[in-house]
Amino acid sequence: MEKTFAALGDPTRLAVINLLRDRPHRAGELASALHMSAPALSRHLRVLRKSGLIADDEPDSDARVRLYRLQPAAFASMRDWLTEVEAFWGGQLEAFKLHAESAPPESGA
Amino acid sequence: MTSVTSPRGDRARATVSVAVPPERAFRPFTEEIKLWWRRGPRFRNVHGDQGIICVEPRVSGRVFESVGEGANEIVCEVGKSKLWQPSERLISEWHASNFAPDERTEVELTFVRSRSGTQVTVEHRGWSAIRPDHPVRHGQEDAAFMRNGTMVGRSDDLDAIAGAARRR
Repeated sequence: MEKTFAALGDPTRLAVINLLRDRPHRAGELASALHMSAPALSRHLRVLRKSGLIADDEPDSDARVRLYRLQPAAFASMRDWLTEVEAFWGGQLEAFKLHAESAPPESGA
Repeated sequence: MTSVTSPRGDRARATVSVAVPPERAFRPFTEEIKLWWRRGPRFRNVHGDQGIICVEPRVSGRVFESVGEGANEIVCEVGKSKLWQPSERLISEWHASNFAPDERTEVELTFVRSRSGTQVTVEHRGWSAIRPDHPVRHGQEDAAFMRNGTMVGRSDDLDAIAGAARRR
């Protein structure tokens, strides 16, 4: 899990993720913990919701009392993504190794 | 505020040990990339020998795939080099064909001398800057990065490249 926490580049959103690691929080609790206004925070919560990293349990309730929690599947998908990128570059590096080690010593010097 | 550092974050890393010294690894890596970069539709827009992949050897040099010559040349640029230290280090932007204009990732290559030759490491970072709902990050079935996230993609530009190659 921890490996994916830095997946989001924004410090506020990282702080939200960090608070939600402990337990689900209401939007109002998150805002006061981060010393932010509810409207300022709600933009970040929207980005996190859209990314699938967090979800609110009571979407019909008043915005300030919605309970937010982490969505583990989204973090697993980020991990899978990086693993795929690593597989891509690993394959390219293997292809490069074959090329570099088969070249005669004069080549590329 | 607790720091949320992680060993990996949004960075993908891969490394390989090569049995030649750094100066004999760096130049083939950059100057001969068209020879060793894997072939096939997952890795290149233009199959066979008609298209080339090129790294221009300088800061602000382009990393691109092209086909055709002169006025007929069609270029698919992945990014420009931000750092160029021969035999040591290279940093280039990596803007795949299906990224939005302001979405950029970054690739850093390091060449470190070792007892057996050179340790070549790639770090591809900045994925958190890609919008969360981007197809490159979400909803992919398999190998979306290889289909869409590299020099390979399905934009008009890329279809034009493939078409130009067929006409040659």
